[in-house]
Amino acid sequence: MSKNHFISGFSIVIFLVVWHLMSVNYFNPFLIPPPIKIAAKIFEMSGDGELFFHVWASLFRVIVGYFWGCVLGITIGVSIGLSKLMNDYLDPPLQFVRNITPVAIVPLAINVFGLEEASKYVVIIYGTIIPVILNTAAGIISVPKIRIQAAQCLGASRADIVKHVILPSAWPFVLTGLRLALGFSFMGVVAAEMIAADTGVGFLIMQSRNMLLPEQMFTGLFMLGVIGMATDKTFQFVIKKVMRRYMILITAESGFKGA
Amino acid sequence: MSKLSLTNVTKNFSNSSGETTCVLKGIDLEVADGAFFTLLGASGCGKSTLLNIIAGFEEVSGGNVQIDGHAIEGPGTDRTVIFQDVSNALFPYMTVFENVEFGPKMSGQGKSDRKLTVEKYLKLVSLENDADKFPFELSGGMKQRVQIARALANDPDILLMDEPFGALDAITKKHLQIELRKIWKETGKTIFYITHDIIEALILSTRLAVMTAGPEAVLKEILDIDLAEPRSPANPEFAALYQKIEDSIDEEVEKRKFNE
Repeated sequence: MSKNHFISGFSIVIFLVVWHLMSVNYFNPFLIPPPIKIAAKIFEMSGDGELFFHVWASLFRVIVGYFWGCVLGITIGVSIGLSKLMNDYLDPPLQFVRNITPVAIVPLAINVFGLEEASKYVVIIYGTIIPVILNTAAGIISVPKIRIQAAQCLGASRADIVKHVILPSAWPFVLTGLRLALGFSFMGVVAAEMIAADTGVGFLIMQSRNMLLPEQMFTGLFMLGVIGMATDKTFQFVIKKVMRRYMILITAESGFKGA
Repeated sequence: MSKLSLTNVTKNFSNSSGETTCVLKGIDLEVADGAFFTLLGASGCGKSTLLNIIAGFEEVSGGNVQIDGHAIEGPGTDRTVIFQDVSNALFPYMTVFENVEFGPKMSGQGKSDRKLTVEKYLKLVSLENDADKFPFELSGGMKQRVQIARALANDPDILLMDEPFGALDAITKKHLQIELRKIWKETGKTIFYITHDIIEALILSTRLAVMTAGPEAVLKEILDIDLAEPRSPANPEFAALYQKIEDSIDEEVEKRKFNE
């Protein structure tokens, strides 16, 4: 075990001990239960499959919504990056709309798309599409001019330049957008499930409040942390394997590694 | 007939408030096939603007540029630019091999032919053992060799070089100058080279021109360089020519100071 692993493990132990002492001595343990009780609840809910059921419900919504959000976002982002006309028309509304968080869209989505799955997908697509569009367009606009000129000298047509120069040069930006969007997707789905759903981690948390089940509420919160970390790590792992050559510039040029 | 000929090339730029500045005013120049032509001038005089016009990146405001007697229309594969900012000029997501392969790939060369072409030019610039590396793994001098190999693999008639060694350290620069001269002799390409380094110009060129300080820049004088080989700054003839050109450029810098 390396020194870093030891520090990570130790910091978690300290956190749990402090939480336990606070819970027992200062808070109402019925509202903020000690960690050991939450662990027992997680264990119990994992055993009977209830936890997996809710986690999968949320995850499935994110997979569907995120996929379409990325497809649409990259398409629109590329067209904004390549066409000045598209940029002139779409940039002003995007700059306005990007300030409205996916969470705030939930009531509107329910009014328009109903209480079923469609409204959840819409919230996730909304949360995904905006960072993906903005980052994709920014990536295309910041391709060095001389790289395009070099390709022109080498006989590349306009289509070749888009395919071999502009899109690959923009990839690091696009990937940053995709990663941000993944985080927003989870924010969106949890908010949507809290208001109108009978499955999912968001529903589980809201139901625990209504039924005064604090251990179950913390189980939901814990699972959000777990899913968020797992998907982000998976994302990074896949990018490292599949997209290595596009990320080279970023890894090679980032200098600050912490004091 | 000249390889490259410029007739009365004029370039005006307009700023956002509508004022027009004349950067180049009536440049006439003939560059023979196989010549190593160098353009010298103080920074900001319009050298790069002229190179961009010959490359086809910028349009002339007046006059014309001809290659082999035909007026150019935009960028073409008969001319390739070697940029100073090599990190941005190379494709960072492609290996050295893939970078050099780009031109032949665009012209539709078959895979096995491309491999031979790339190997030939990587050998010419002594990078045959670095084919699978990515540009970020190379030093500045090596990157510049990749850019030269990439240009040559596309077999252009003219290389347009915009201060290609300006950002390199003195030792690397000296070695690359020697290699470039060797490559020029071996390939017989016409080279249009921009620099503000007089020694570099005298080591490399067969012909050079000094540009007046902008705006409204013209070619002040054109000299044929026929120095004894190997060319060395220690040679008295070299030193005398150096002094002459330096005085000529200094005069331009002084003139501009006075105008400001």
